[in-house]
Amino acid sequence: MLRFDRRLIYDFDWVMVLFLLLVSGMALVNLFSSTWSGGPDPSPIFFKQLYIFLFGYVLILVLVTFDYKELAPLGYILYGIVILLLIYTGLFVHTIAGTQRWINLGFFHLQPSEPAKLAVVIVLASYYSNHDTEDGYRLRDIIRPAILTAVPFVLIMMQPDLGTALMLGILFVSMTLFVKLRWSTISILGTVAMGGAFIGWKFLLKDYQRRRIETFLNPEGDPMNHGYQIMQSKIAVGSGQVFGKGFLEGTQGHLHFLPERHTDFAFSVWAEEWGFVGSVFFLGCYFFLLLWGINIAMTARDKFGVLLAFGLVMLIFWQAVINLFMIMGFLPVVGIPLPLFSYGGSSLLTTLISIGILMNIRMRRYQIKT
Amino acid sequence: MKNIRKRRKKREDQARRPVLNRDAEMTLISPHDDAELDFFKKRALSSAVVLIFFFAVLVSRLWYLQIQQGDKYRQLADSNRVRYVEVVPPRGNIFDRNGRAIVTNRPSFNVVMSRENSGLNDELLKKMASILGEDVSVLLARIRKMAGTPGHIPIRLAEDIDWDKVAFIENNRLELPGIRIEVVPRRIYHYGNLASHVIGYLGEINERELKASAAGVYRGGDLVGKMGLERLLEKDLRGEKGREYMEVNSLGFEQKYLKGIEPLPGDDLKLTINMDLQRVAEDIMAAQDKAGAVVAVEVNSGRLLVAASAPALKLDEFVGGISYKAWQALLDNPRHPLINKVVQGQYPPGSTYKLVTALAGLAAGVITPDTVFYCPGYYRLGNRTFHCWKHAGHGAVNLIQALAQSCDVYFYHVGQLLGVDRLALYAEKLGFGRKTGVEMQGEKSGLVPTAAWKMRRYNRPWQEGETLTVAIGQGFDLVTPLQLCMMTATIANGGTLYKPGLVESIRDPSGRLVAQFEPHISGRLTGQSANLKLIREGMIEAVNSRHGTGRAARLKGITVAGKTGTAQVVRLRQFRHMREVDVPYKYRDHAWFTCFAPAENPEIAVTVLVEHGMHGGSAAAPVARAVLQAYFKDRLKKTGNPALVMSSGRGGRSRAD
Repeated sequence: MLRFDRRLIYDFDWVMVLFLLLVSGMALVNLFSSTWSGGPDPSPIFFKQLYIFLFGYVLILVLVTFDYKELAPLGYILYGIVILLLIYTGLFVHTIAGTQRWINLGFFHLQPSEPAKLAVVIVLASYYSNHDTEDGYRLRDIIRPAILTAVPFVLIMMQPDLGTALMLGILFVSMTLFVKLRWSTISILGTVAMGGAFIGWKFLLKDYQRRRIETFLNPEGDPMNHGYQIMQSKIAVGSGQVFGKGFLEGTQGHLHFLPERHTDFAFSVWAEEWGFVGSVFFLGCYFFLLLWGINIAMTARDKFGVLLAFGLVMLIFWQAVINLFMIMGFLPVVGIPLPLFSYGGSSLLTTLISIGILMNIRMRRYQIKT
Repeated sequence: MKNIRKRRKKREDQARRPVLNRDAEMTLISPHDDAELDFFKKRALSSAVVLIFFFAVLVSRLWYLQIQQGDKYRQLADSNRVRYVEVVPPRGNIFDRNGRAIVTNRPSFNVVMSRENSGLNDELLKKMASILGEDVSVLLARIRKMAGTPGHIPIRLAEDIDWDKVAFIENNRLELPGIRIEVVPRRIYHYGNLASHVIGYLGEINERELKASAAGVYRGGDLVGKMGLERLLEKDLRGEKGREYMEVNSLGFEQKYLKGIEPLPGDDLKLTINMDLQRVAEDIMAAQDKAGAVVAVEVNSGRLLVAASAPALKLDEFVGGISYKAWQALLDNPRHPLINKVVQGQYPPGSTYKLVTALAGLAAGVITPDTVFYCPGYYRLGNRTFHCWKHAGHGAVNLIQALAQSCDVYFYHVGQLLGVDRLALYAEKLGFGRKTGVEMQGEKSGLVPTAAWKMRRYNRPWQEGETLTVAIGQGFDLVTPLQLCMMTATIANGGTLYKPGLVESIRDPSGRLVAQFEPHISGRLTGQSANLKLIREGMIEAVNSRHGTGRAARLKGITVAGKTGTAQVVRLRQFRHMREVDVPYKYRDHAWFTCFAPAENPEIAVTVLVEHGMHGGSAAAPVARAVLQAYFKDRLKKTGNPALVMSSGRGGRSRAD
């Protein structure tokens, strides 16, 4: 039976809450600007995201009430649901802009590839924590986690959503390297991965995906289309200079030179309007939040907690790095949002749930009876 | 302080430990698990290092983009959002010597399309094609033409569109992204096609001109002078472009006006041309469907009063670009309207050249005013016979009579005594064989033959007989109407060869004088005043004596002095026995008349060439007379009796010379 425990307040992770609110605040300020169309009122998109934030906060409060070890079996259920949803999307959902990513729930467009990332993290954490090893995993030990990752990976590739699929791959690699692997396993996997990348490039990638990568490698070859987005993003960031152009004063964003300026390129708007100072402040808060997550992993009471916390931090961290690298011109356009910061309900909810789980782990570094 | 902190920590520890102890439901942690947890904690620590590393990479990238390259990206952002529109300045106006407007500007409306961001929008093109009433392929051709130019320069889709189309496009702006109406001044010609070769026309700048010009002055689609003064004085006439800076969004829509720089209109030209005289000259040439040139000059300054080349160009055909068909018609026209015959037409001077021969003979001392030669109607040189135009012969004639009646035999004698090289010397002193330097395009230098020239050109020695034909202007010699007019002026003013000028003054838009005409002497005949006076007398006789060849130029009240000329185009036996009117047009002789007035105190020299006009006295002299009559109209009225003036026109009988 759930009995309210005062320790839920004593041990509540106030640090995480503080930084979550800071980052959320900046995200909403920026969303206001990037969706602003000149009038005094915020756009409906702003309110939509605000409500999802509020809903997510409530969800966090619910998530910290039970012990995270319950999540291990729940993870498999979530995983199963996500796979079904991905299959459903592939089969029945109408194509939007060439891809099939969203399920219309009436009040909400669910993008099942977002919770898929979360499910994979939980499932992998659960698997590795249940399979001990003393001198590292052998190849056959990681076949099952590999399959667990590969199923949603392939389904998401088919949508096609290269960025999210690669995210799953990166998560798998991060978490598998985090647990002990034998050197022989690492070298075999490295070879296979390189071969796979080659075959993927040759046969699996869609034309536009290949073009994006080619454009990135040779931006002059295609200045008006794909390279254009990266160029406009770099111009937005760079033109912010030290102190930025000021709130609502960014020309790249408000004159529509920036593509996807409230979703994938949201940080470009922030960098343009708040400059180097504002950008470093934001990144400082963001990375502190992530490092706090690592701290949670380090102080977790058991292996599942460590792996789960680490996996969740990686989930947010890699998306952030890929998104920011893209914005700053280090990577091609891959369509990965900046968690918490980019507009998009599925991503935001997934991230907030991840943070809720992190807080849960933090609160139970010493056991709380539930 | 330290104590307080210690105590607080202790209290916290006490608060927590009992909780754990009391509940005592901790999972038992085996030593093995503990070691593994430690292992993971170390790994987590190293992953924190990775995180911090990426944080550092991101911050340094921000430093690079925003601080180091910040200025560059700020400029790029500005060039993204700030678009300027060039404002074409009104071109300088052109006035005649009396300040009457010949060419000014009117506003016209062009449709332009910005290229960036909008890309090639099929929908939009279809819409524009239907609005403009043109085929999509026409618009596509215009777009293709601009392919090589920088992207921020808009494409001109249509020019000088009607007001209702302007209104329609302005009303539907929102559905036509990137489409704009541009107001551009356009040339308007108040005197129609008068002085068309002098003024010239405008056309779209071509790639060669674009490359040759200084950066930023022109861009594709600009209009530049292609001929005449429009071209020669392009720098003065074009003015300076203005700019309007706007903030635009990524679709090219203007968001707000930032600032503007007003265009600076071009400088105004005042010509030396008198449009009244020009009109008289061109009207009479056009009325009789004549091809040729009429030039009139102030004898004491070199200011051109009339510079007409017939047939005239239809200037309106060139506004907005001449059609291929019209251009081809101009090229194929046997009367060569594209050629400015004043300076580009080179013709044998015919008998007008006898003035040169006469001066050379007197100056060289081979004849005196009293020298008399007998004209039996022919002249024998070796076994060849050279005929006089008057087969019956002129009898014994002196220089004045020879000039008045244009006796060929007299000048055969003079020519033979002189030799071709001495003749050439004086021809050159009178300005032949070289360009006058007038502000007209493509001027030809004519030809003054010498023995050395023939050797060079044909590798054959000079024949004495050729000297005879040169002496009467029928040989190798070629002159332009302007050269002949300047020679006439030189004879009239007593030996000063002026450089002809077309531009009286150039003033900038504020009225400040930029340039002013000043007489420019390009040669002087010294010690020839008595000889020139004699020649002038011969010319007076040619117009006014009973047997004069140029009687058709006579005016009552003003003494005109002149010389006729007929230049053989071909000497073909087959036409010998034909009546003149039966000879095909292109084989008929050219008709010359050159004159000055008033003979006592010369002011104006007029030269007329009528291509294939056959006889100087009948075809060319009346044209010169009309110009003189217009020039002297006030003075003629004072002497009264316009009826007499008119009747004198009929006095000129058609006769050969």
